[in-house]
Amino acid sequence: MPEEKWETSSAEETTELGRQIASRLRAPVLVFLTGELGAGKTTLTKGIISGLGAAREEDVTSPTFTLVHVFHNHQTVYHVDLYRITNFHDLETLGLEDVFDRPAVVIVEWAEKFTLRADWPVVRIHLEHAGEDQRRIRLEDSAGVLAVKDPRQEKY
Amino acid sequence: MPRDARILGIESSCDETAAAVVGNGRTILSSVVASQIDVHRKYGGVVPELASREHLRRIVPVVREALDQSGLTLADVDAIAVTRGPGLIGSLLVGVTFGKALAQAKAKPLIAVNHLEGHVRAVVVEALGAGQAPELPAVCLIVSGGHTVLYSVEQDEPGAIEAAPFRYARIGQTRDDAAGEAYDKVAKMLALGYPGGPVIDKLAAQGDPSAVHFGEPHMKGNPYDFSFSGIKTAVLYHLRAHPELELESRTRQAALEQGKRRAAELLPLCGPHTLGLLASFQRAVVTNLVAKTLAAAQQWAARSVLVSGGVAANRELRETFAAEAKRRGLAVFFPSLALSTDNAAMIAAAAYPRLLAGELTGDDLNAEAVLPLA
Repeated sequence: MPEEKWETSSAEETTELGRQIASRLRAPVLVFLTGELGAGKTTLTKGIISGLGAAREEDVTSPTFTLVHVFHNHQTVYHVDLYRITNFHDLETLGLEDVFDRPAVVIVEWAEKFTLRADWPVVRIHLEHAGEDQRRIRLEDSAGVLAVKDPRQEKY
Repeated sequence: MPRDARILGIESSCDETAAAVVGNGRTILSSVVASQIDVHRKYGGVVPELASREHLRRIVPVVREALDQSGLTLADVDAIAVTRGPGLIGSLLVGVTFGKALAQAKAKPLIAVNHLEGHVRAVVVEALGAGQAPELPAVCLIVSGGHTVLYSVEQDEPGAIEAAPFRYARIGQTRDDAAGEAYDKVAKMLALGYPGGPVIDKLAAQGDPSAVHFGEPHMKGNPYDFSFSGIKTAVLYHLRAHPELELESRTRQAALEQGKRRAAELLPLCGPHTLGLLASFQRAVVTNLVAKTLAAAQQWAARSVLVSGGVAANRELRETFAAEAKRRGLAVFFPSLALSTDNAAMIAAAAYPRLLAGELTGDDLNAEAVLPLA
């Protein structure tokens, strides 16, 4: 199972790592983000979505309140947050089935709360606190869908 | 001279089902709000499916009650206004569908309103009710559980403020969590119930705001953007570094489960360390909101500062804004508590200038979860 690990030491680095990951993502794909409060899920997502050219970094904010954000610029990206979803019935009412109508990049925060099934390949990213601004980030690409990484871009 | 219009407003963007009748964009004839806080409390936040189900259950009686209290019938109403977005899509759909059906059945003009513009108009309605009119241009901070955004507000055409369309530009917004969301998440970490804002506000008043130092969020780019994710994480780290606070949290959790959720009931279960943490958290959030808003007011040569949204009900935020704005010779306006949180009077008021301008919507109106005002 291809696994990659990084350690970042600032929010900017986490966002930059998101951009690098974005350059290797091809729709359709699901990106499951796990990690506790403040671990950097939204920060990493800022990098992924801006890296995909779907929105500016500053326009990617926490979807905790609205639950699903969708960006249509350049390509379709969904940013979903399951923090407040407590049961499967609520999950079903999010209208996520429409998400899979056409190829998209779907990023799901708090994905560990449910066993989510989809026909699309899944990339799992786990974020961990490692002191003040440090974060340990582990990526699992069990389906092997990430494009080969460009060593020139590898910074962390 | 604007023509007379009594508008029925309907609001269902999040967890309040609300209806109101407002005359000429300034006189509140009735305003009814059915809150779902009790329904959502045990989940620590709004649950979307529950929210739309509750809206469905409540919308008919709430609209009927608003009409009754205004002494009007549906036939007397000149137009119907409904919140189109932003908000929870399932919740918005209830109001939009109901408003559309009502407008069609009674052949009334239908006006779609941006929820955020409603919050801006709430401040104007409140001021007019108190015999004042905020001078424009203004900057408006909308701060709630779902939003933290700063706009400049201008009026292009001369005329009464309640009848004139506003022009908005976005000055800054949160890059991560809304301020109210940070309150809710901190309240969850410390077992203080939901919603977090009002309880933390009351408890913070009993603590030492200099007890814990929270650094300024370091951000590049737009200096008027906000960030509340860092302070939420800082509270988490503080709790980890002080496991002795855990026992208190567990005691409070037990109290919450027994239905003891008022600040007065939770206060004896909070030691000075916890109170200091809350006071410091609130001080950091408030200082940040006030500093950026007033800096923007200066930069945009604003004549007034408008503060709206659920967090505008926060005592320390109001006091700090009032004191700091006074020092700068700026007028600052807040809505009353009832108009700070989600309500339909603000929707009806926001619809009035649009009705006068003939900005009506058809039956193709759809709810929009994401709908920037500018």
